[in-house]
Amino acid sequence: MTQTLIRPEVALDPPPPPPKRKKHRDPSRYFRLHLPLVLYLLFTLIPFYWMLVFAFRPAGETALVPWPITLEHFDTVWNGIGFGLFFQNSLIIALGTLVVVTVFALMGGYALARFKFRGQKVFLLALLCTQFIPGAMLLIPLFVIFKGAGLLNSLTGLIIADTAFQLPLALILMSGFVRNVPVELEEAAMVDGCSRLRAFFAVTLPQLRPALVAVGSFAFIGAWNNFLFALMFASKQDKFTLPVGLSYALGEFNTDFGALAAGGVVAAVPVVLVFAVVQRFLVQGLSAGAVKG
Amino acid sequence: MRALLVVLALLLSACAGAQDGKTTITFWDNNGGPGRTPIYEELIKRFEAANPDVKVDYVGIPSSSVQQKYDTAIAGGSTPDVGGVTTSYLAHLAGQDALEPVDERLEGSSLKGKLIPGLVETVRQTSADGKLYAVPASGNMDVVWYRSDRFEENGIKEPVTWDELVAAATKLTNPAANQYGFTIRGGAGSVFQLLTEAYSYSGVEKFYDGGKSTVADPRNAELVRKVAGLYKKATPEADVNNNYTQMVAQFTGGSVAMMHHNLGSTADVMKTLGPERVSAMPLPKGPSGKRTVVPNPTDGFAVFKGSKNADAAWRFVEFLVSPESNGYWNEKVGQIPANTDVRNAEWIQKNPAVKMALGVLEDPATVLVPAPVHLPEYSSITKTDTEPLYQKVLLGQMQAQEFLDQLAAKLTTAQQDWEKRK
Repeated sequence: MTQTLIRPEVALDPPPPPPKRKKHRDPSRYFRLHLPLVLYLLFTLIPFYWMLVFAFRPAGETALVPWPITLEHFDTVWNGIGFGLFFQNSLIIALGTLVVVTVFALMGGYALARFKFRGQKVFLLALLCTQFIPGAMLLIPLFVIFKGAGLLNSLTGLIIADTAFQLPLALILMSGFVRNVPVELEEAAMVDGCSRLRAFFAVTLPQLRPALVAVGSFAFIGAWNNFLFALMFASKQDKFTLPVGLSYALGEFNTDFGALAAGGVVAAVPVVLVFAVVQRFLVQGLSAGAVKG
Repeated sequence: MRALLVVLALLLSACAGAQDGKTTITFWDNNGGPGRTPIYEELIKRFEAANPDVKVDYVGIPSSSVQQKYDTAIAGGSTPDVGGVTTSYLAHLAGQDALEPVDERLEGSSLKGKLIPGLVETVRQTSADGKLYAVPASGNMDVVWYRSDRFEENGIKEPVTWDELVAAATKLTNPAANQYGFTIRGGAGSVFQLLTEAYSYSGVEKFYDGGKSTVADPRNAELVRKVAGLYKKATPEADVNNNYTQMVAQFTGGSVAMMHHNLGSTADVMKTLGPERVSAMPLPKGPSGKRTVVPNPTDGFAVFKGSKNADAAWRFVEFLVSPESNGYWNEKVGQIPANTDVRNAEWIQKNPAVKMALGVLEDPATVLVPAPVHLPEYSSITKTDTEPLYQKVLLGQMQAQEFLDQLAAKLTTAQQDWEKRK
């Protein structure tokens, strides 16, 4: 009988596929795992969808799908309210903060990871503690200092303030990353004749690329979204940033929802872009920094 | 070397300010935004043309953060010369000794006797020493905006009493068609609005009686029960978290037929619905038949003590409240001009909402019941402490009377503390 003929062949077959694949075909698993995720995704995306609808829909319309699409709200915020300038200011501040934070975090993080010095633990603890202080508490002292130094109403001042606020976390992250790069690599390079600096640039720095991306993008987004410092330290309209501009579009009595939504889109796009480009590095970088090497 | 550079830089910046012989004053608009900034820009242009020796730096501050911004500026010694202020935080600013009293300047000014006494009184009542710390420029009043077209379709007359309003709201509700008769402000700012409703219904004429808050008056509780009774029956369910933006959005979006807000939403309401579809009425009366009004925060201008150019700053304030500027500004935003010379202006005759509000404010039969905005705790009591309680009332988890009792007890304590400190 054919059955008896086939049986030994079955026994010779490779072991059955791992249970993972089998589970994949199980529809109940699909519903248990994916359906909630899809629902959750919809739940988080709806506000964004709503924002897009308001931004592209002509004022006074109630359609759920904006058609025909209008760009009048973007014209209002970009040219009318001055988001063009706010965007530029935000970009300067965010990029400035990114550069300064990344450079300082790289130097400080390397020192924290590679050298032993007195008070190192206390310093790390202090860095950690700064994370517990809300920005609002720093406001008045910073304001007084900035006023004395003539840094109010300047983008430089805002870059300094944002850097001061972002740097502690960046240092903690970066020192974790540096610790993950085996010190033996550097030592080997130094045995081969490199100076410490050269060894750092030639061997360690390339390994830290994900770290730079992670720290840099956090600094960028932190500065991009910072509302409080920009509102308090800039008392000239031409130094406003996007978050301040958005709250400026939200009047006490009158709110142009179309303009507000268009402003929201303008403010959100760079953040989305940054995440889209760097999310690969970000996940990689974060998990690398999370575990002590 | 570095110190030298800093000194040099400071010297340079100091010289730059006085280069062209003009005095520069800074003006902070306490409710900056695309709606109002252009109006001020125009007024500043006119002022600078009339006063070539003064230059005005305009800064629009988002209204939601203006108090914090003032506080930081005061603490840091970096206040503007002139600031827009409202009575809701005027006491707080004056209490920090940041403002110049304006009584004397007003005495010798062309504005003397030209400001609506009710508004001046509202501003004066915020200060502990009885001095005037801001010149009122614009009054606001609570009104009920309603869809006149829907009222007509359903054969409903403009409600005069609260019971008529409740009946109209019920009649105009059809949840299946996403149509509701009324909208309740249950979220941020709810209690302030509820109190104006309660007093308009109860006819209680004083906020404090012998140092004791009258908020818990049983007639006030009756109104709270009436409003809470509307919740979910004649209002959208989401109302429990409504702040004013959501309320206005619902109303202008067409799903709600009546909305209690104030003249501040005139521009929004008129822009989307137009005068042919929407009208305003004063808050309805209660069984007492009396018209009691809890005045809204009054907007005005203050000169800051730290100003180095107080005279120029005052000139600017005087200009802003002059009949032409005051009329121009209030016409654009649809509020009540403080300058009485504006009363007969043509635009007021054409703006039924403002005309109606001005009529109510100037009617001798109207009783003003000012809320105690002079209490530093007023805002935290009405917002942080009691807004969640009102939400409980709406959700049927708390009795109206119990809620008002708690609110009244806090207001009484705060007032007594204030009397002691005075």
